[in-house]
Amino acid sequence: MRNPIFDIENWREIGATLSQNKTRTFLTGFGIFWGTAMLALLLGGSDLLKKLMSRNFEGFATNVAVAFPGRTSKSYAGFNKGMPLDLNLTDITNIRTAIPEIEHSSAVNILWANAVYGQKKSSAQLNGVEPGYSKIFSPIIYAGRFINEADDANARKVCVVGRKVADEIFGSSEALGKEIELNGIYYKVVGTVGQTSEINIGGAPMDECVFIPYQSMRSSYNLGNKVNLFMMTIKPGHSPGEYENLIRRLVARNHPIAPDDRAALGFFDISEQFKMVENIFTGITLLALFVGVGTLLSGVIGIGNIMWIIVRERTHEIGIRRAIGAKPRDIIVQILSESMVLTTVAGIAGIVFASLILGAVQHLTGIAAQLPFTTAMAILVTFLVLGTAAGIIPAFKAMQIKPIEALNDK
Amino acid sequence: MNDHKYIIDLHDINKSYPGVVPLHVLKDVSLGIEKGELVSIMGASGSGKSTLLNILGILDNYDSGEYHLDGVLIKNLSENRAADLRNYMIGFVFQSFNLIGYKNALDNVALPLFYRGISRKKRNALAMEQLERMGMADRATHLPSELSGGQKQRVAIARALITNPSILLADEPTGALDSHTSREVMQVFRDLNAEGRTIVIVTHDPAVGEQTNRIIRISDGRIVE
Repeated sequence: MRNPIFDIENWREIGATLSQNKTRTFLTGFGIFWGTAMLALLLGGSDLLKKLMSRNFEGFATNVAVAFPGRTSKSYAGFNKGMPLDLNLTDITNIRTAIPEIEHSSAVNILWANAVYGQKKSSAQLNGVEPGYSKIFSPIIYAGRFINEADDANARKVCVVGRKVADEIFGSSEALGKEIELNGIYYKVVGTVGQTSEINIGGAPMDECVFIPYQSMRSSYNLGNKVNLFMMTIKPGHSPGEYENLIRRLVARNHPIAPDDRAALGFFDISEQFKMVENIFTGITLLALFVGVGTLLSGVIGIGNIMWIIVRERTHEIGIRRAIGAKPRDIIVQILSESMVLTTVAGIAGIVFASLILGAVQHLTGIAAQLPFTTAMAILVTFLVLGTAAGIIPAFKAMQIKPIEALNDK
Repeated sequence: MNDHKYIIDLHDINKSYPGVVPLHVLKDVSLGIEKGELVSIMGASGSGKSTLLNILGILDNYDSGEYHLDGVLIKNLSENRAADLRNYMIGFVFQSFNLIGYKNALDNVALPLFYRGISRKKRNALAMEQLERMGMADRATHLPSELSGGQKQRVAIARALITNPSILLADEPTGALDSHTSREVMQVFRDLNAEGRTIVIVTHDPAVGEQTNRIIRISDGRIVE
C-alpha cells in the first residue's frame, strides 16, 4: 500500500489543488496565519510587559531586608516609653554572627552634605556604606569603581559620586581622581554611579548621592558606633521574614527595650513587596494563557469550519474522484494533507509576522521582546495537531461521500 | 447461470429504495451484453434506467440477484474493492461531463491513473495519447471552462478510456449537447465500438438509440424487450 507521506505524487496533487484554488487557499491560510500571529504576539507581548515592569527593579536583589531604629512603645527597665533606639555596631556584629544565612550586608549612615568642587556646589545625600552595599543594590558604574574592602578597613578618604551630582559639580570634565569637599573634609573621587530601577531604600536615588566608606564617615564626622540603617540580603532558599524575630531579640538583648516591643526596631522586608509584583506577573501570564487558549480555540474552530465548507463545496469533485477509482482512504488523506500543508505554511508565516512586529517593538523600546523558539514551535505544533483534529470530522464527512453524487449533481 | 460469453451478465436483479412506501425500482432484471456490443438502454424518466446504470457502474448495490462483470461477481463489495473495480473495469462518461474545474484537460484525463499510483510523467504521456486520439491535443492545457460542450465530452471520453476499461458506460452523453455536436460525439462512440469497445449508453433520446446496434427498453423497472 502506498504511504501518502513518502509519495511524491500525493504531494504534487496537494500542491496542484492548493495552488489552483488560490482564493480558497488564501482565505483558509489567512485564518490560520492570523490565529498563530495573534497567539505569538500575545505571548511575546506579555513577556514584553513583564520585562517593562521588571526594568523598574533592575539591579535590585529581591530578598532584601532593612532594619532601622525606631522609638520604644513600652517603658522597660526604668526607661520611659518613647525613647529612641540607638542601633550600633555591636548589634550589627551580633546579627552577622547569629545569622550565617545573611549573604551580603552593609551598615549605612546618612548625612546631608554639600559636595563642593572649585566654584561648583551640589547638595547631596552622603551615605557611609560598607562594600557589601554594592552587592545588595548593584549600582551601574559609569566610571572607576565602588567602595571596596580596603577603603572601608583603612577608613580611606575616597568617595563615589552619583551621576547627577557629578554632572553638577564636574560638568563634562573628568571626575575620577578629583578631590571634592564634603562638609569640610576632602575626599578623592574613585567612581561615578547611578541606577535604573525606580526603587530607593534610605532616601535619594544613587544618582543624587555621594558614597564614602562607613568607617571614614564614622571617624570623620564623630558618629561613634551609630548605625542609621542595616541592610542585608538573605541566601537563596530563605526569606528575610524568617529572621525578623531573631533580629529583634538580638537587638533587644543589647538595649533596655521590652522583648515584645515591635516599635523599637523597624524591619522592612522587600521580598514581601516582591511577592505582590510576582502575583501581578502570574496574573499577566494567566491572562495571556487564558486569552491565548481562547484565540487557539477560535482559530481551530475556524479551521474546522472552513474545512467543513470546503468539503461541502467539493462534494461533487470528491464524487467524481470516487467514481473514477479513488478509495475512501485516498480522499481522507487528501483532505487532511491539504489542511496540514496549509496549517504549516500559514502557521510559519504567522509566527514570522509576529516575530517581525515584536522585533519592531524591540527596536522602538529597546527591550528584547523575543518569542522563544520553543514557544514558536509549540504554537505551530499545537495548531497543527488541533487543526488536523478539527479537520478530521469534515474529512470523514468527505470520505462518506458516495460516487453517485457525481451522477446526481447536474 | 454465469455464461462467460456475456461481459455484462445480470440475473434477476432486484433493487428497492427503503422509505415509508418502499420503492421497488428494478424488478427481476436479467440482461446479457456481449463483448464488443454497442447497446443503448432507453426508458422514460423514472423507469429505473439510472438505477440500472448505477448498478452496472458499481456505484450502487442491489438487493438480490447476481451481476457478473467480465466474469467477476459484483456483490457485497467493500468500498475499496469497488473503487478498484471501477478504476480498472469501467470508463464513465456523464451528461454533465463531470470534469474537475480547476484541472486542465490533460490533468483531468490523467486523474484515474493517479489513483493507480502511476507517476506523473507516465500518466501525462498516456493522457496526451488519449487526447490525440480524440483530436484534442491542442487543448491539453485548457481548463474545462475554456472548452465547448463537445470538446468537454471528448476530454471526458479520453478520461474514461485511459484506464483501458472492460466497458464504457455513458449516461445521457449527448444530453447537454446540440444536435450537430451530438452526432459528432455519437460518431466517436461508433468509432470506438468499431475498434472493439463494449459500450453501454443510457438515454431517453430515440435519435441516440437509433445509432446503437441494440436497444434495451426499460419501463417501470422491467426490461420490455
